[in-house]
Amino acid sequence: MAATASDGAGPDVAFTRARAAVYELLASAFDGDIETLAEAMADGSFHELASVLPVAVEVDPLVADDPDPEALSIGYDNLFVVPGPHYVPPFASAHADEPSHEFESDSAFHEAGSAGELYGDPAARMARRYERLGFTPERGDGIPDHVAAQLSFLSTLAAARADADDAAGDALQEIERETLAAMGWLDAFDEAVAGQDRAEGVFAALSRLTRTIVAWDAKRARGEDDTNPQRRRHESATKTTRIRNEDETQPDGFDRR
Amino acid sequence: MSTDDTSNDESDTTADASVSRREFVAAVGGMGAVSLSTSATMSGLDLSSLWEDDPQHYVGTDYGDYEAGDVLYTTCGQCNTFCPIKVRLADDSGNGEYASLIRKLAGNPYSFLNTQPFSQVPYGSDPEDVVTGDLEGTGDVDADRWSLSGGRMCLKGQAGIQTAFDAYRVRKPMKRVGERGSEEWRTISWEQAIEEIVEGVDGEHVSHDGLREMYGYAPQGEVMDDWEAVQNGEMDESAFDEKYEGKLVDTDHPDLGPKANQIVDVGGFRRNFIRTRLWKQGLGSINSHHHAGTCGFSSVLGNVRSYGAGKKRQYSDIENTEYLIVWGTNPMVANKGPTWLAPKLTNAIQDGMRMDVIDPRMSKTAEKAEKWVPVDPGSDAALALGMARWIIEHNRHDLAYLRNPDSEAAEADDEPTWSDATHLVAVDEDAQPKARAGDLGLDGEGYVVVDAETAEVRPASEVDRGALDVDIRIDGDRYRSAWSLYRERVFEHTLEEYADMAGVSADDIAELADEFTSHGKRAAILSYRGPAKHSNGFQNTRAIATLQHLIGNYDWQGGQITPYAGYDTMNGRYELGTVPEGKSPWGLPILRAGTNYEDTSLFDRDDGYPAERPWFPVAPPHQVQELYASAGHEFEAGGERRKGYPYSIEALFIRPYSENHVMAASGGDKIPEAMTDTDAISLLVAFDTVIGETSKYADYVLPEPTYLGRWENFGTYPNKRLADEKISHPTVDVVPDARPAEDVLIDIWKEMDFPGVGEDAIPDAEGELWPLHQAEDFYLKLVTNLAYATKDHPAADADIEGISLPGDATLDDLGEGPVPDADDEELAVFRQAHEKGLGDRFDYDRWKQAVRNEEWRKAVTVLNRGGRFEEPVVNYEEAFAEHGHDYDYVDRYEPSNGYVDGKMRYKLASRVNFYSEVPPQGKDAYSGERFDGLPGVEDVTHFDGSVEVPIVSDGEPDRPLHLINWKPRTQGMHRTTNSPWLRETRPENPLWINPVDAGERGIDNGDAIEIDAGRRSVEGTAMVTEGIRPGVVGAMWGWGRDGDGATETVIDGETRQPAGDDGHTPYEFDEPMTDDAGIAGPRDAGFAINHLQPLDNDLGDIGMSDPVGGSNAQYDAFVEVRRRD
Repeated sequence: MAATASDGAGPDVAFTRARAAVYELLASAFDGDIETLAEAMADGSFHELASVLPVAVEVDPLVADDPDPEALSIGYDNLFVVPGPHYVPPFASAHADEPSHEFESDSAFHEAGSAGELYGDPAARMARRYERLGFTPERGDGIPDHVAAQLSFLSTLAAARADADDAAGDALQEIERETLAAMGWLDAFDEAVAGQDRAEGVFAALSRLTRTIVAWDAKRARGEDDTNPQRRRHESATKTTRIRNEDETQPDGFDRR
Repeated sequence: MSTDDTSNDESDTTADASVSRREFVAAVGGMGAVSLSTSATMSGLDLSSLWEDDPQHYVGTDYGDYEAGDVLYTTCGQCNTFCPIKVRLADDSGNGEYASLIRKLAGNPYSFLNTQPFSQVPYGSDPEDVVTGDLEGTGDVDADRWSLSGGRMCLKGQAGIQTAFDAYRVRKPMKRVGERGSEEWRTISWEQAIEEIVEGVDGEHVSHDGLREMYGYAPQGEVMDDWEAVQNGEMDESAFDEKYEGKLVDTDHPDLGPKANQIVDVGGFRRNFIRTRLWKQGLGSINSHHHAGTCGFSSVLGNVRSYGAGKKRQYSDIENTEYLIVWGTNPMVANKGPTWLAPKLTNAIQDGMRMDVIDPRMSKTAEKAEKWVPVDPGSDAALALGMARWIIEHNRHDLAYLRNPDSEAAEADDEPTWSDATHLVAVDEDAQPKARAGDLGLDGEGYVVVDAETAEVRPASEVDRGALDVDIRIDGDRYRSAWSLYRERVFEHTLEEYADMAGVSADDIAELADEFTSHGKRAAILSYRGPAKHSNGFQNTRAIATLQHLIGNYDWQGGQITPYAGYDTMNGRYELGTVPEGKSPWGLPILRAGTNYEDTSLFDRDDGYPAERPWFPVAPPHQVQELYASAGHEFEAGGERRKGYPYSIEALFIRPYSENHVMAASGGDKIPEAMTDTDAISLLVAFDTVIGETSKYADYVLPEPTYLGRWENFGTYPNKRLADEKISHPTVDVVPDARPAEDVLIDIWKEMDFPGVGEDAIPDAEGELWPLHQAEDFYLKLVTNLAYATKDHPAADADIEGISLPGDATLDDLGEGPVPDADDEELAVFRQAHEKGLGDRFDYDRWKQAVRNEEWRKAVTVLNRGGRFEEPVVNYEEAFAEHGHDYDYVDRYEPSNGYVDGKMRYKLASRVNFYSEVPPQGKDAYSGERFDGLPGVEDVTHFDGSVEVPIVSDGEPDRPLHLINWKPRTQGMHRTTNSPWLRETRPENPLWINPVDAGERGIDNGDAIEIDAGRRSVEGTAMVTEGIRPGVVGAMWGWGRDGDGATETVIDGETRQPAGDDGHTPYEFDEPMTDDAGIAGPRDAGFAINHLQPLDNDLGDIGMSDPVGGSNAQYDAFVEVRRRD
């Protein structure tokens, strides 16, 4: 069999579209779209999804014949919207290890010199990626590093890749890889959600499922980068179009179970 | 093939994630809540941006706000481009050791030199607005991620922080322990240093007379009158001897001048102060020399002799040039390149300019050329004259231009310059001068031509059109036109012969000549050291310069430019060059320049030709490569054994920061032999920032501030359309005990009671006298002269068509007055920034006292901007607010400050010489033959005429590979190799070798090799590349050091170890052409290229020199290369 870009680790249209769909689902759920969340809980979507992942994820709380939209909505607001005893900021800046030097934080939940600010460096970096591709996040309350915005961006990137030619696809792949690499903060986020969502467990399960999918996808993306000969050729031929990975480090925070 | 019909599960699964893509797709397909229908078109992403650079790519995120009070503008000294720079001061070091640290160095946005390809900020702009990026028109940092608050700067400049804060800086005055060069020192006080220099010392290790004992002076007129009396028998020789004993170098040879001449300064910069005031007028010594001999001296003089007015360099008006030949220079990297010329060149190429590069190796500039012509080193004149032959044979020269005999005819022809082509040369006379009207019984003293209309011999100034080919007799004497001489010279060889000599094809020569003459006046040559640094360098330069005479491209927009556009600094408010009761230096310079050997009393004493050593009769005395061996030269003459030709040195003051001759001269490895000879040089004092290869042989090393801590007014360059004047002033105080050489010399001069320092030293314009006690007393007056300088604009009262000026400006507004006064806020900024940078060393009131109260605010305006920079157009501030930095003001308005009516505003406006009557006035000191007034092809020869590089002759060199060298991209001078940042980028200097030559020797890229130059061999690393001509090898200079922290030094009994490796990442062998080196090698890495150069056959103690142009030959070694196993 002749080697082509689609061998082994290359983009596969159906697979890429499927990833786009999954990210869109997760993005809506984290954006407070309770209707879609409830629908997916009722039709077994999360169960289907978890069944094909390489590691077992506990999704029982995400499977329900008749979920209560109001309870879900209150749970969502308490966790992700209303600053209070159960609040877990759903954006990367709040979980970053290093405070930003670039933005003055006005977050009340952030002490100078520690993590926890709003609109920190991760937000700036995501905003630059969006700006570059003309992407306006409709999810995530206008917070560029909101988990819903990031997932929604991943969905859009995957959708675009499915239709792109080789060269554009390679460039999109690079941005996708960077974006995935920038989501290591989901580890800390997941642990925080698990600590706060003890009663219902819906969002704890959703967060664990999302963290697992992103980690798995990030690993796939890294493998794709290493093994795709077409991509390497392209990269050397068009050096100036390369985008620097501002996050620099690999997503060490991911749990590689 | 489609992924849909993949049947192999293995290929459908990522290598290490055990999820089948097929299963994943199937699972998602079964999820009711999601849709698989999104597509790229629906995603709305703008994929076109994928093909552009990330707009944020160059933007760092780690920055802090700062203000004008955190910034000082000065001049970079990391290389001789001398860029105007911005010093962003950081807070103090925390341990109190430094007044301030430097956070960052950048380009000065007030200067056009550092804002290319944009326009600088208007001169009047508020410093606060400029540093904060708030100035209208400079870009908005928040929106654009960029602003003009800082200008362009190269990597070498940025590493200036490591020059200033080098741990190996000299911290206290030091006196040697043991022999010269023993590298053992003990620190002494400034008082002791000055006392010993002035009064002498008789110690265990250091023993010398002081200046008081050494010094002697008598005026030339008095001495030579008495000497004439002696010759006429009117005065006893013994009476003469008695009268001048202790005042003249040698009473038997009074033409050598006063004993003051044996006190020698080798410095280079700060010429206005140290040479003009202290040495020449204070001391009356003729011996104050700069670096020219180890630099492009032969190029400068080859150009000077090719023009009636001072033109030292070849540069083009790049923005408007259609065809540019870059000849033996690398403006992307050197020759005022990185910040100034590189962006201009790349933009011009983008805009359609064709650039061809003549260079034996593929330089960074050649990489961007349309055509690369790898000429054989040293044969440039053959290539140039071959082009000239093709041009003349194809009638491609500008006949109308060449026939204009003088300024009036040229002006009528709309030409700013004219040539000597029609001028008559008296070829029967010995020195073959150009004929003068008076000599032929005509009116006036001007040149003479044959009128093309009447065939009469007439003064050039009275003729509209001269005859070109003239060979006539007047009263029996033969006269020929310069053109007929030049044409005959050009036709001495066929195109094929020239091609053979130059090692290029005749077709290539024809192509260059054809292209060069296909663009009217918009073709030009940019040339410098490559052709010039051979002992035939003067002639190579002349041949190249005269090519441009053929098209008369001078002063035309897009042609060859000459603007030494500056402002007056030495005169105006204060007469800084005037020393009340100053002495007049006279006598024979130790470098034997400006005089024919046979015209001195040494000629008889030394039995005529050949002379003991080279003379440079038609050049100024800056052949510094000759200095040391001359002082140590031993010979027998007049029945006596002598040392020193023409005399030894009593006291040598060197400032090796810009004059590290042991490294910089070819054969510099022999210089220490003379430096360690205390009979040749009795007292040796070095002002230095570090203990370098040259200063380590001194008796005393005196600590100086680096360029970031002292004053300077670096010269301006003739490659720009607008005027500027750069001012360096102290910005940080790093070594508390360092003192600028000026201050130390003032103290010494005061001790000696020499004029020019102390009270009543500097006259102002009203004749009032001002004191000179410290550097500021001089430089602040210089700054004030600059602040008050005014400029007229030639178009102010001219008849110009198509006038278009910004806003409501009129021609009456053209020109420039004094700079505006600094307001109170600017005064506060000035004070705050200097206090921050200099701490206690800054004495505001003392500085202010150096000029009049009413002048102070203008001086501050200049210092707050690091100099004076002409704006591109009148009413610039208003135009800038409207159009911003990215607008081509000079080209869009008429007249601008750069152009008037299609010509340069700053012009050469003079005669250009095919024939120069100056060289034939000089005679070769070996053979007694006159030098040539015409450009010509010559071999590269030694002093005795033996051939080193055969060009016209057929000799065979001893070794097969011709070794050349060049300035590295990553280093300024030897003065920058201390920087680990720079050494990281290129840890050593590999030897470039063509695959043909490498293959014959079994050498692969990266192999360890031995480079055998005959007298010496060194080890190196091979870089196999087609980017160098077969038969030629080469490497960067700047490596192979054994000073400046490269070796062990003992100070006050404690041993200081050399600097080792330094860097961030694990070191892997630096294989040439790979970029994986992440660590700086030690300071002694690589090999010293100048120490492989051949010694002059006759002298044996230094490399060869060009007797006409004065350059040290630095590209003329032949080597063999062998692989080391």
